[in-house]
Amino acid sequence: MEGVSYQRFPKIKIREVRDDYMKFELRETDASIANALRRVMIAEVPTIAIDLVEIEVNSSVLNDEFIAHRLGLVPLTSERAMGMRFSRDCDACDGDGQCEYCSVEFHLRAKCINDQTLDVTSKDLYSSDHTVVPVDFSDSSSSFENSENKGIIIVKLRRGQELILRAIARKGIGKDHAKWSPAATVTFMYEPEIYINEELMESLTLEEKREFVESSPTPVFKLDENTYQVEINDAEAYTYDEEVIKKAESMGKPGLVEIRAKEDSFIFTVESTGAVKASQLFLNAIDVLKQKLDAVRLSADTVEADEQFGELGAHMRGG
Amino acid sequence: MNAPDRYERFVVPEGVAKVSYERDTKIINAASFTIEREDHTIGNILRMQLHRDENVLFAGYKLPHPLKYKIIIRIHTTSQSSPMQAYNQAINDLDKELDHLKNAFEAELSRHSLRQ
Ligand SMILES: [Zn+2]
Repeated sequence: MEGVSYQRFPKIKIREVRDDYMKFELRETDASIANALRRVMIAEVPTIAIDLVEIEVNSSVLNDEFIAHRLGLVPLTSERAMGMRFSRDCDACDGDGQCEYCSVEFHLRAKCINDQTLDVTSKDLYSSDHTVVPVDFSDSSSSFENSENKGIIIVKLRRGQELILRAIARKGIGKDHAKWSPAATVTFMYEPEIYINEELMESLTLEEKREFVESSPTPVFKLDENTYQVEINDAEAYTYDEEVIKKAESMGKPGLVEIRAKEDSFIFTVESTGAVKASQLFLNAIDVLKQKLDAVRLSADTVEADEQFGELGAHMRGG
Repeated sequence: MNAPDRYERFVVPEGVAKVSYERDTKIINAASFTIEREDHTIGNILRMQLHRDENVLFAGYKLPHPLKYKIIIRIHTTSQSSPMQAYNQAINDLDKELDHLKNAFEAELSRHSLRQ
Protein backbone atom coordinates (compact mmCIF):
# COMPACT_ATOMS: atom_id res chain seq x y z
CA MET A 1 0.00 0.00 0.00
CA GLU A 2 2.92 2.30 0.75
CA GLY A 3 3.55 4.24 -2.45
CA VAL A 4 6.84 5.46 -3.84
CA SER A 5 7.95 8.80 -2.48
CA TYR A 6 8.05 11.83 -4.75
CA GLN A 7 9.58 14.03 -2.10
CA ARG A 8 12.01 16.80 -2.96
CA PHE A 9 14.99 18.01 -0.93
CA PRO A 10 15.20 21.78 -1.36
CA LYS A 11 18.43 23.68 -0.74
CA ILE A 12 18.76 27.01 1.04
CA LYS A 13 21.49 29.64 0.93
CA ILE A 14 21.20 32.76 3.04
CA ARG A 15 22.77 35.86 1.58
CA GLU A 16 21.94 38.40 4.25
CA VAL A 17 20.08 38.40 7.55
CA ARG A 18 19.20 41.23 9.85
CA ASP A 19 16.42 41.35 12.43
CA ASP A 20 13.93 42.87 10.02
CA TYR A 21 15.40 41.84 6.66
CA MET A 22 16.51 38.64 5.00
CA LYS A 23 17.58 37.64 1.50
CA PHE A 24 18.06 33.99 0.60
CA GLU A 25 18.10 31.51 -2.28
CA LEU A 26 15.69 28.60 -2.39
CA ARG A 27 16.56 25.85 -4.86
CA GLU A 28 15.41 22.45 -6.06
CA THR A 29 11.72 22.98 -5.46
CA ASP A 30 8.97 24.56 -7.55
CA ALA A 31 7.05 27.81 -7.69
CA SER A 32 4.05 26.35 -5.84
CA ILE A 33 6.13 25.83 -2.68
CA ALA A 34 7.82 29.22 -3.02
CA ASN A 35 4.47 30.93 -3.48
CA ALA A 36 2.78 29.01 -0.65
CA LEU A 37 5.55 30.10 1.72
CA ARG A 38 5.25 33.70 0.53
CA ARG A 39 1.47 33.67 0.98
CA VAL A 40 1.71 32.12 4.44
CA MET A 41 4.35 34.64 5.59
CA ILE A 42 2.10 37.53 4.54
CA ALA A 43 -1.32 36.29 5.61
CA GLU A 44 -1.13 33.32 7.96
CA VAL A 45 1.78 33.63 10.37
CA PRO A 46 0.17 34.89 13.59
CA THR A 47 1.17 38.02 15.49
CA ILE A 48 -0.34 40.01 18.34
CA ALA A 49 -2.11 43.32 17.72
CA ILE A 50 -4.49 45.58 19.61
CA ASP A 51 -8.03 44.46 18.81
CA LEU A 52 -10.25 46.02 21.47
CA VAL A 53 -10.04 49.54 22.90
CA GLU A 54 -12.02 50.98 25.78
CA ILE A 55 -11.69 54.74 25.82
CA GLU A 56 -12.19 56.40 29.17
CA VAL A 57 -11.26 59.98 28.29
CA ASN A 58 -10.56 61.38 24.85
CA SER A 59 -10.50 65.12 24.40
CA SER A 60 -7.98 64.98 21.55
CA VAL A 61 -8.75 66.14 18.02
CA LEU A 62 -9.06 62.55 16.78
CA ASN A 63 -12.27 60.62 17.39
CA ASP A 64 -12.35 57.39 19.40
CA GLU A 65 -12.50 54.97 16.47
CA PHE A 66 -9.72 56.81 14.66
CA ILE A 67 -7.46 56.31 17.68
CA ALA A 68 -8.56 52.67 18.09
CA HIS A 69 -7.64 52.04 14.44
CA ARG A 70 -4.22 53.65 14.85
CA LEU A 71 -3.54 51.58 17.97
CA GLY A 72 -4.41 48.41 16.06
CA LEU A 73 -1.76 49.16 13.47
CA VAL A 74 1.08 49.49 16.01
CA PRO A 75 3.34 46.42 15.58
CA LEU A 76 3.88 44.50 18.84
CA THR A 77 6.71 42.04 19.51
CA SER A 78 5.07 38.68 18.86
CA GLU A 79 7.53 35.86 19.61
CA ARG A 80 4.81 34.52 21.92
CA ALA A 81 2.12 34.43 19.23
CA MET A 82 2.81 30.93 17.87
CA GLY A 83 2.20 29.48 21.35
CA MET A 84 -0.83 31.62 22.17
CA ARG A 85 -4.49 30.76 21.66
CA PHE A 86 -6.91 32.57 19.40
CA SER A 87 -9.53 34.28 21.58
CA ARG A 88 -12.27 32.64 19.53
CA ASP A 89 -11.16 29.16 20.59
CA CYS A 90 -9.87 29.96 24.07
CA ASP A 91 -11.83 28.04 26.70
CA ALA A 92 -10.20 29.79 29.65
CA CYS A 93 -12.22 32.95 28.98
CA ASP A 94 -14.90 34.21 26.63
CA GLY A 95 -12.39 36.27 24.65
CA ASP A 96 -12.93 39.39 26.77
CA GLY A 97 -9.23 39.83 27.41
CA GLN A 98 -9.08 38.74 31.03
CA CYS A 99 -7.07 35.68 30.13
CA GLU A 100 -3.31 35.32 29.77
CA TYR A 101 -3.58 32.50 27.18
CA CYS A 102 -5.16 34.64 24.49
CA SER A 103 -4.74 38.31 25.32
CA VAL A 104 -2.46 41.06 26.59
CA GLU A 105 -3.72 44.21 28.27
CA PHE A 106 -2.37 47.69 27.58
CA HIS A 107 -2.94 51.01 29.32
CA LEU A 108 -2.37 54.49 28.00
CA ARG A 109 -2.68 57.67 30.01
CA ALA A 110 -1.53 61.06 28.67
CA LYS A 111 -2.39 64.68 29.35
CA CYS A 112 -0.89 67.86 28.00
CA ILE A 113 -0.37 70.36 30.77
CA ASN A 114 1.65 73.13 29.10
CA ASP A 115 1.82 75.12 25.86
CA GLN A 116 4.18 72.66 24.22
CA THR A 117 2.28 70.16 22.01
CA LEU A 118 2.49 66.68 23.50
CA ASP A 119 3.15 63.73 21.20
CA VAL A 120 1.41 60.56 22.38
CA THR A 121 3.39 57.64 20.95
CA SER A 122 3.64 53.86 21.09
CA LYS A 123 6.10 54.40 23.96
CA ASP A 124 3.19 55.57 26.12
CA LEU A 125 1.50 52.17 25.86
CA TYR A 126 2.06 50.16 29.03
CA SER A 127 1.86 46.41 28.57
CA SER A 128 0.82 43.81 31.14
CA ASP A 129 3.32 41.40 29.53
CA HIS A 130 6.94 42.52 29.13
CA THR A 131 7.40 40.15 26.14
CA VAL A 132 4.60 41.85 24.21
CA VAL A 133 5.50 45.51 23.71
CA PRO A 134 5.42 48.00 20.84
CA VAL A 135 8.29 47.34 18.44
CA ASP A 136 11.32 49.51 19.15
CA PHE A 137 12.62 50.97 15.91
CA SER A 138 15.66 52.65 17.41
CA ASP A 139 18.57 51.46 15.33
CA SER A 140 21.70 51.12 17.43
CA SER A 141 23.84 50.88 14.29
CA SER A 142 22.54 54.11 12.76
CA SER A 143 24.76 57.12 13.09
CA PHE A 144 21.99 59.53 14.07
CA GLU A 145 23.19 61.41 17.11
CA ASN A 146 19.56 61.99 18.12
CA SER A 147 19.42 59.12 20.58
CA GLU A 148 15.97 60.09 21.79
CA ASN A 149 13.59 57.59 20.24
CA LYS A 150 10.05 58.76 20.02
CA GLY A 151 8.21 55.63 18.90
CA ILE A 152 5.18 55.65 16.63
CA ILE A 153 3.05 58.74 16.98
CA ILE A 154 -0.60 58.05 17.85
CA VAL A 155 -2.06 61.52 18.43
CA LYS A 156 -0.89 65.03 19.36
CA LEU A 157 -2.40 66.85 22.36
CA ARG A 158 -2.56 70.60 23.06
CA ARG A 159 -2.88 72.20 26.48
CA GLY A 160 -5.70 70.68 28.47
CA GLN A 161 -6.35 67.71 26.15
CA GLU A 162 -6.25 64.25 27.60
CA LEU A 163 -6.30 60.61 26.51
CA ILE A 164 -6.95 57.67 28.83
CA LEU A 165 -7.69 54.20 27.51
CA ARG A 166 -7.41 50.45 28.07
CA ALA A 167 -6.61 48.19 25.11
CA ILE A 168 -6.69 44.44 24.61
CA ALA A 169 -4.24 42.87 22.17
CA ARG A 170 -5.04 39.48 20.69
CA LYS A 171 -3.47 36.87 18.49
CA GLY A 172 -4.55 37.04 14.86
CA ILE A 173 -3.49 36.52 11.24
CA GLY A 174 -3.14 38.82 8.26
CA LYS A 175 -6.04 37.07 6.52
CA ASP A 176 -8.33 38.48 9.21
CA HIS A 177 -6.91 42.01 9.18
CA ALA A 178 -3.65 43.38 7.73
CA LYS A 179 -2.66 44.72 11.17
CA TRP A 180 -1.79 41.13 12.11
CA SER A 181 0.53 40.62 9.16
CA PRO A 182 4.14 40.20 10.32
CA ALA A 183 5.42 40.93 6.82
CA ALA A 184 6.14 44.34 5.36
CA THR A 185 6.99 42.71 2.03
CA VAL A 186 7.79 39.18 0.95
CA THR A 187 8.84 38.70 -2.65
CA PHE A 188 10.57 36.06 -4.71
CA MET A 189 11.96 36.07 -8.22
CA TYR A 190 13.17 33.36 -10.56
CA GLU A 191 16.92 33.32 -10.87
CA PRO A 192 17.81 34.48 -14.41
CA GLU A 193 20.32 32.61 -16.56
CA ILE A 194 21.91 34.84 -19.18
CA TYR A 195 23.89 33.58 -22.18
CA ILE A 196 25.74 36.04 -24.42
CA ASN A 197 26.42 34.86 -27.96
CA GLU A 198 30.04 36.06 -28.02
CA GLU A 199 30.45 35.50 -31.74
CA LEU A 200 27.42 37.63 -32.58
CA MET A 201 28.42 40.19 -29.96
CA GLU A 202 31.81 40.67 -31.57
CA SER A 203 30.08 41.58 -34.84
CA LEU A 204 28.70 44.70 -33.13
CA THR A 205 30.42 48.06 -33.42
CA LEU A 206 31.47 49.77 -30.19
CA GLU A 207 28.60 52.22 -30.59
CA GLU A 208 26.12 49.35 -31.02
CA LYS A 209 27.49 47.62 -27.94
CA ARG A 210 26.96 50.80 -25.92
CA GLU A 211 23.43 51.10 -27.26
CA PHE A 212 22.75 47.49 -26.37
CA VAL A 213 24.05 47.86 -22.82
CA GLU A 214 22.02 51.03 -22.34
CA SER A 215 18.83 49.50 -23.72
CA SER A 216 18.27 47.66 -20.46
CA PRO A 217 16.36 49.81 -17.94
CA THR A 218 18.28 48.08 -15.13
CA PRO A 219 22.08 47.60 -15.07
CA VAL A 220 22.14 43.98 -16.28
CA PHE A 221 25.08 44.39 -18.70
CA LYS A 222 28.21 46.51 -18.73
CA LEU A 223 30.82 47.41 -21.27
CA ASP A 224 34.39 46.77 -20.20
CA GLU A 225 36.18 50.01 -21.00
CA ASN A 226 39.51 48.24 -21.60
CA THR A 227 38.55 45.21 -23.65
CA TYR A 228 35.35 46.70 -25.13
CA GLN A 229 33.51 43.49 -24.38
CA VAL A 230 29.93 43.29 -23.22
CA GLU A 231 29.79 41.51 -19.89
CA ILE A 232 27.11 40.64 -17.36
CA ASN A 233 27.07 43.30 -14.66
CA ASP A 234 24.26 41.97 -12.45
CA ALA A 235 22.07 39.15 -13.75
CA GLU A 236 19.57 39.59 -10.92
CA ALA A 237 18.94 43.20 -11.88
CA TYR A 238 17.00 41.77 -14.85
CA THR A 239 13.28 42.35 -14.46
CA TYR A 240 12.18 40.10 -17.36
CA ASP A 241 11.26 43.24 -19.31
CA GLU A 242 12.81 41.79 -22.54
CA GLU A 243 14.07 45.24 -23.59
CA VAL A 244 17.51 43.87 -24.49
CA ILE A 245 15.92 41.06 -26.54
CA LYS A 246 13.88 43.63 -28.50
CA LYS A 247 16.99 45.79 -28.93
CA ALA A 248 18.98 42.86 -30.32
CA GLU A 249 16.16 42.10 -32.74
CA SER A 250 15.90 45.74 -33.86
CA MET A 251 19.66 45.69 -34.54
CA GLY A 252 19.13 42.68 -36.75
CA LYS A 253 20.90 40.37 -34.29
CA PRO A 254 18.30 38.01 -32.89
CA GLY A 255 19.82 35.51 -30.48
CA LEU A 256 22.49 37.98 -29.32
CA VAL A 257 21.54 37.18 -25.77
CA GLU A 258 19.35 34.47 -24.39
CA ILE A 259 17.73 34.89 -20.97
CA ARG A 260 15.97 32.04 -19.23
CA ALA A 261 14.31 31.87 -15.84
CA LYS A 262 15.57 28.86 -13.87
CA GLU A 263 12.31 27.23 -12.91
CA ASP A 264 13.57 25.64 -9.71
CA SER A 265 15.58 28.52 -8.21
CA PHE A 266 14.12 31.44 -6.31
CA ILE A 267 15.57 34.50 -4.68
CA PHE A 268 13.49 35.57 -1.70
CA THR A 269 13.41 38.93 0.02
CA VAL A 270 11.64 39.05 3.39
CA GLU A 271 11.02 42.29 5.23
CA SER A 272 9.41 42.07 8.66
CA THR A 273 7.40 44.73 10.48
CA GLY A 274 9.49 43.93 13.54
CA ALA A 275 6.78 41.80 15.16
CA VAL A 276 8.95 38.72 14.60
CA LYS A 277 12.50 38.47 13.24
CA ALA A 278 12.70 37.88 9.50
CA SER A 279 14.44 34.51 9.97
CA GLN A 280 11.84 33.42 12.53
CA LEU A 281 9.08 34.55 10.18
CA PHE A 282 10.25 32.03 7.59
CA LEU A 283 10.48 29.23 10.18
CA ASN A 284 7.01 30.06 11.49
CA ALA A 285 5.69 30.00 7.92
CA ILE A 286 6.99 26.44 7.49
CA ASP A 287 5.29 25.39 10.74
CA VAL A 288 2.00 27.04 9.78
CA LEU A 289 2.06 25.41 6.34
CA LYS A 290 2.73 22.03 7.97
CA GLN A 291 -0.25 22.56 10.30
CA LYS A 292 -2.42 23.47 7.32
CA LEU A 293 -1.38 20.30 5.48
CA ASP A 294 -2.09 18.26 8.58
CA ALA A 295 -5.59 19.75 8.80
CA VAL A 296 -6.46 18.62 5.27
CA ARG A 297 -5.61 14.95 5.88
CA LEU A 298 -8.54 12.62 5.35
CA SER A 299 -10.26 11.53 8.52
CA ALA A 300 -10.34 7.83 9.37
CA ASP A 301 -14.11 7.56 8.91
CA THR A 302 -13.94 8.99 5.37
CA VAL A 303 -11.37 6.34 4.43
CA GLU A 304 -13.44 3.61 6.08
CA ALA A 305 -16.65 4.71 4.37
CA ASP A 306 -14.90 4.61 1.02
CA GLU A 307 -13.46 1.15 1.60
CA GLN A 308 -16.94 -0.19 2.28
CA PHE A 309 -18.20 1.59 -0.79
CA GLY A 310 -15.35 0.05 -2.77
CA GLU A 311 -16.16 -3.45 -1.60
CA LEU A 312 -19.81 -2.94 -2.35
CA GLY A 313 -18.91 -1.61 -5.79
CA ALA A 314 -16.64 -4.58 -6.50
CA HIS A 315 -19.34 -6.94 -5.29
CA MET A 316 -21.90 -5.35 -7.56
CA ARG A 317 -19.56 -5.40 -10.51
CA GLY A 318 -18.64 -9.03 -9.84
CA GLY A 319 -22.18 -10.29 -9.26
CA MET B 1 -23.31 46.38 6.52
CA ASN B 2 -24.12 42.88 5.29
CA ALA B 3 -20.53 41.90 4.58
CA PRO B 4 -19.61 38.40 5.79
CA ASP B 5 -17.52 38.25 8.96
CA ARG B 6 -13.80 38.21 8.21
CA TYR B 7 -13.25 35.00 10.16
CA GLU B 8 -15.65 33.22 7.78
CA ARG B 9 -12.65 32.90 5.47
CA PHE B 10 -10.67 30.58 7.71
CA VAL B 11 -12.87 29.17 10.49
CA VAL B 12 -14.66 25.96 9.53
CA PRO B 13 -18.30 26.25 10.69
CA GLU B 14 -19.54 23.76 13.25
CA GLY B 15 -20.89 20.56 11.79
CA VAL B 16 -19.02 20.99 8.50
CA ALA B 17 -16.25 18.53 7.59
CA LYS B 18 -12.85 20.06 6.73
CA VAL B 19 -12.37 17.54 3.92
CA SER B 20 -15.06 15.62 2.12
CA TYR B 21 -14.49 12.99 -0.50
CA GLU B 22 -16.68 12.12 -3.43
CA ARG B 23 -16.06 9.33 -5.93
CA ASP B 24 -16.78 9.93 -9.56
CA THR B 25 -19.82 7.87 -10.52
CA LYS B 26 -18.78 7.36 -14.13
CA ILE B 27 -15.00 7.14 -14.17
CA ILE B 28 -13.14 4.55 -12.14
CA ASN B 29 -10.26 5.86 -10.00
CA ALA B 30 -11.45 9.43 -10.19
CA ALA B 31 -12.66 11.51 -7.25
CA SER B 32 -13.13 15.03 -5.92
CA PHE B 33 -11.98 16.30 -2.55
CA THR B 34 -13.75 19.36 -1.19
CA ILE B 35 -11.59 21.22 1.31
CA GLU B 36 -13.36 23.82 3.43
CA ARG B 37 -11.73 27.17 4.27
CA GLU B 38 -8.60 26.71 2.19
CA ASP B 39 -7.37 28.57 -0.89
CA HIS B 40 -4.59 28.64 -3.50
CA THR B 41 -1.92 28.14 -0.81
CA ILE B 42 -2.98 24.52 -0.21
CA GLY B 43 -4.67 23.93 -3.58
CA ASN B 44 -1.66 24.73 -5.70
CA ILE B 45 0.99 22.87 -3.69
CA LEU B 46 -1.20 19.75 -3.61
CA ARG B 47 -1.89 19.94 -7.33
CA MET B 48 1.80 20.37 -8.22
CA GLN B 49 2.85 17.57 -5.88
CA LEU B 50 0.20 15.27 -7.41
CA HIS B 51 1.65 15.99 -10.86
CA ARG B 52 4.92 14.44 -9.70
CA ASP B 53 3.11 11.14 -9.08
CA GLU B 54 3.34 9.02 -12.23
CA ASN B 55 0.13 7.16 -11.36
CA VAL B 56 -1.82 10.40 -11.42
CA LEU B 57 -3.45 10.93 -14.82
CA PHE B 58 -5.12 14.19 -13.84
CA ALA B 59 -4.92 16.51 -10.86
CA GLY B 60 -6.44 19.95 -10.70
CA TYR B 61 -7.98 22.32 -8.21
CA LYS B 62 -10.46 25.15 -8.36
CA LEU B 63 -11.67 27.90 -6.10
CA PRO B 64 -15.32 27.91 -7.25
CA HIS B 65 -16.11 31.44 -6.09
CA PRO B 66 -14.16 34.12 -4.18
CA LEU B 67 -16.88 34.25 -1.51
CA LYS B 68 -17.23 30.47 -1.19
CA TYR B 69 -14.33 29.73 1.06
CA LYS B 70 -13.48 26.26 -0.21
CA ILE B 71 -11.46 24.53 -2.88
CA ILE B 72 -12.18 21.40 -4.89
CA ILE B 73 -9.34 19.08 -5.86
CA ARG B 74 -10.02 16.52 -8.56
CA ILE B 75 -7.76 13.50 -8.99
CA HIS B 76 -7.81 10.73 -11.60
CA THR B 77 -5.28 7.93 -11.27
CA THR B 78 -4.29 4.72 -13.01
CA SER B 79 -5.47 1.39 -11.57
CA GLN B 80 -2.04 1.09 -9.88
CA SER B 81 -3.17 3.75 -7.39
CA SER B 82 -6.32 5.47 -6.20
CA PRO B 83 -7.26 9.12 -5.72
CA MET B 84 -7.18 8.66 -1.97
CA GLN B 85 -3.76 7.00 -2.02
CA ALA B 86 -2.35 9.71 -4.29
CA TYR B 87 -3.86 12.44 -2.10
CA ASN B 88 -2.37 10.98 1.09
CA GLN B 89 0.97 10.43 -0.61
CA ALA B 90 1.08 14.07 -1.80
CA ILE B 91 0.40 15.37 1.71
CA ASN B 92 3.06 13.08 3.20
CA ASP B 93 5.65 14.09 0.62
CA LEU B 94 4.95 17.81 1.08
CA ASP B 95 5.13 17.40 4.84
CA LYS B 96 8.53 15.68 4.56
CA GLU B 97 9.75 18.33 2.13
CA LEU B 98 8.85 21.04 4.64
CA ASP B 99 10.62 19.11 7.42
CA HIS B 100 13.70 18.96 5.25
CA LEU B 101 13.38 22.66 4.40
CA LYS B 102 13.15 23.58 8.07
CA ASN B 103 16.27 21.60 8.97
CA ALA B 104 18.16 22.99 5.97
CA PHE B 105 17.19 26.54 6.91
CA GLU B 106 18.14 26.16 10.56
CA ALA B 107 21.53 24.66 9.63
CA GLU B 108 22.15 27.45 7.12
CA LEU B 109 21.11 30.09 9.66
CA SER B 110 23.58 28.89 12.28
CA ARG B 111 26.30 28.55 9.64
CA HIS B 112 25.54 32.08 8.47
CA SER B 113 25.69 33.59 11.95
CA LEU B 114 29.07 31.89 12.51
CA ARG B 115 30.43 33.41 9.32
CA GLN B 116 29.79 36.92 10.58
ZN1 LIG C 1 -8.64 33.49 26.75
